Amino acid sequence: MIKLDEITVKVKIIGQRAAREVRVPQKTRVVDLLNQLGQNRETVVVRLNGKIVAEEERLADGNSVEILQVVTGG
Amino acid sequence: MLKCSFCGRRAAYNRRYAGVLLCDRCMVKSVERRFRRAMGEHRLVSPGERVALAVSGGKDSVACMHLLADYCARKNCELVAVTVDEGIKGYREESLPIARENAEQLGIEHFVVSFKQTFGATLDKIVKLAKRKKTEFNPCTYCGVMRRSLLNQAARELGADKLATAHNLDDEVQAIMLNYVRADFSRLYRLGPSYPPREGFVPRIKPLREIPEKEVALYALLRGIKVHLGVCPYAGGIHTEIRDFLNRLETNHPNSKFMVLRMFDRMKPHLVEAVPEFEMRKCEACGEPTSSTVCKSCELLHGLGLKREQKTLISFKVK
Repeated sequence: MIKLDEITVKVKIIGQRAAREVRVPQKTRVVDLLNQLGQNRETVVVRLNGKIVAEEERLADGNSVEILQVVTGG
Repeated sequence: MLKCSFCGRRAAYNRRYAGVLLCDRCMVKSVERRFRRAMGEHRLVSPGERVALAVSGGKDSVACMHLLADYCARKNCELVAVTVDEGIKGYREESLPIARENAEQLGIEHFVVSFKQTFGATLDKIVKLAKRKKTEFNPCTYCGVMRRSLLNQAARELGADKLATAHNLDDEVQAIMLNYVRADFSRLYRLGPSYPPREGFVPRIKPLREIPEKEVALYALLRGIKVHLGVCPYAGGIHTEIRDFLNRLETNHPNSKFMVLRMFDRMKPHLVEAVPEFEMRKCEACGEPTSSTVCKSCELLHGLGLKREQKTLISFKVK
């Protein structure tokens, strides 16, 4: 069931899986989405609609989120 | 939209431990400033010196190559790059061309030395032999010990005054924690921004020691530098557990990594009396420096029925 106070964002974790659509509450921040996906903010860089952003940015309906795992310890 | 605390442009990073937001430009400038500060404060390189940088092709070493190239040009120093090809299928053959490409772009001489040529076996083969022989050591032990030895030999033979590695804040704090967990006092004592000269060893420097790993990655991405972001297939074990623990700690308590580092740096001068003095000798098997009769590389190789085949690195692939 689609909730009216939710938005849909397209999420792609680079190198892991194909992009998928994720429904999150309105005013969700990037960091909230990362937590929902089990990603630690210290280990990733996030591109929001192609731009690298701070994790406190809020998401909007239709946004494209790319998550790049950069802390690999290698 | 979140704005940069300094210029008002869109923020690309929230540096939570400092309470500031940074845009792409201010972030790049900030990393460059920190790098230069570390170089100057700890006097890591003197004018006219020849610096050998260990470059894998990963984000840290490639970012460090770009930063050092600029710094060395200003300070009239010479920079050369050395890549160790450990022989890790599906990993190193992807990163090595990236190291080469960046070196070419910056006009830096690039040398490649390999486990196979020097030790007679790739790391993949060494790991298989170790499993078959049921030794107590994990892949990182073989790789770490042998890579350090090879880098030192390469830097020495290249006539380098300093051997730079791209260890970042995360690497250094992980090493501090690991040596605590293992109660390895002498290895703990050896950590720091630089390691003093001893016979047979090229002094090591770590210009990125005070830059968090994520910020090094952001620097490379924001500058559009081509880097390899793959994960070593042998990564795991206690190193990964400590890394994950520190990242959870930093998430919940920003600045934790810096605090671990600062505490260690404050304690280090007081540890000097507790570290046993030892005399440097030449390894009886390969001639490399060691505090024992046989160096750790040769000891590990002997346990696998291998030996250091090539005593000098004369067959450098010069690019």
